[in-house]
Amino acid sequence: MCDFLYRRTGMVFNETKRYYVARRVSERMTATGSGSFTSYFARLRTDAGNEIELFINAFTVNETYFYREDHQLHCLTANLLAERLRAGHRSTGLRIWCAPCSTGEEPYSVAMWLLENWPAVDEHEIEILGSDIDTVALQASAQGIFGKRALMRLSEPLVGKYFVPLQNERWQIIEELRQSVRFSQVNLIDPATTRPHGQFDVIFCRNVLIYFDDASRRVAAENLFENLLPGGFICLGHSESMSRISPLFDVRRFDDAIVYQRPDPRGTYGHA
Amino acid sequence: MPLVRKSAGAQPATTATAAAVLEGLASSSEDIRWAAARAAADLPECAPALAAALPAESAPRVRTAMLTSLARRGDARSAAAILSLLRSDDASLRVAALDALRLMIHGTAELLPALLGDRDPDIRILSCELARALPGETATPLLCQLLRHEPEVNVCAAAVEVLAEAGQREALPVLAQCAARFPDEPFLCFAIQVAAERISSRPPHPRV
Repeated sequence: MCDFLYRRTGMVFNETKRYYVARRVSERMTATGSGSFTSYFARLRTDAGNEIELFINAFTVNETYFYREDHQLHCLTANLLAERLRAGHRSTGLRIWCAPCSTGEEPYSVAMWLLENWPAVDEHEIEILGSDIDTVALQASAQGIFGKRALMRLSEPLVGKYFVPLQNERWQIIEELRQSVRFSQVNLIDPATTRPHGQFDVIFCRNVLIYFDDASRRVAAENLFENLLPGGFICLGHSESMSRISPLFDVRRFDDAIVYQRPDPRGTYGHA
Repeated sequence: MPLVRKSAGAQPATTATAAAVLEGLASSSEDIRWAAARAAADLPECAPALAAALPAESAPRVRTAMLTSLARRGDARSAAAILSLLRSDDASLRVAALDALRLMIHGTAELLPALLGDRDPDIRILSCELARALPGETATPLLCQLLRHEPEVNVCAAAVEVLAEAGQREALPVLAQCAARFPDEPFLCFAIQVAAERISSRPPHPRV
């Protein structure tokens, strides 16, 4: 079962995660009315009722919050975007990708941060895309409804400006912002799903590679390399290091964050 | 609002054919060779061509993609193709090869006994490093076999370092014999002492 999951997602679950795996398999068996593991596994292997997608959804972790690791957002507006603009030779606006995006907190955070903290925001066309392997999380992202915990790092004025209060301590992202961010499904180890998204100036790929084994991390890194414009940046989670995964990227140290950069063969990084 | 929402799916994904990959591997364009190297991972019939192209590839990023694709194949034949790079004069190439071989340790494992007996002590040192990726119960007999006869102190030191991390108790008498063979190498004797203490402090059958 773990091998099945690994081959489709790159996520590794070993003996120490036996309980975690068994619990989710048990939940899916109950949900599908499967009387035995054998019958459930047969259902899974034949993808009856879209079971592969539902099975993968059960294993993803969607616990996050707005303005998480905001030092990278500081870095985005203080350094990365300006450098991307200085690099020139662009035919499109700025493109930012949050992959994975979980239930939408990260791409909406990027949008809010830019609107609040980047003086040049009105001068450029900016596209923000959020992608995830979990289709249920993507539906939630588009809906944009969040609980109190997800908003814990936002000030009251920010919540008042970008959210509409609902009942039972729930808030929904304002319509205008929801219509500004697009969501799509992606499997980071499958180039057939990463390539159609095109190339980006900045990719946030935080706290997902830790679930992959070394081989899958390398494949994901190569896919992400293709999805970056030459000179584009990738931000990983605080416990992740691209240097340990792949030699493809340059390490860039800024005041607020260490990020990784796709080398530009033209040498036009736009360093200040 | 300056944020814009574009329509989805601007670039359709394409599936490479074996013929296109074989042609691409020989292209003068780095981008085409990169794409071919990546696509080859899913086309078993391209593996020999990929292995053949690797030693001559000069672009680092294409080489990285080739190594990843061979590692994804994971078989002994792919491992053998990468092994030739361990003899390169270019240190970055040796490290890249080592990283790739670690990724495909199951394919590499069956080649390790021969590698640990290679005539080149540098290869034996790198092979000790590869053994680090094996489970302790597999690495221990391989490294003990090496330590019984290894004449180079630096190779012994490399093996001892791995045993300190993953070795099992069967290694203790072999380590003692090794220390006795090199009484004038205090650093090795100290490393062996540390390794023996660490191995002794572990449960008899650790799960690695």
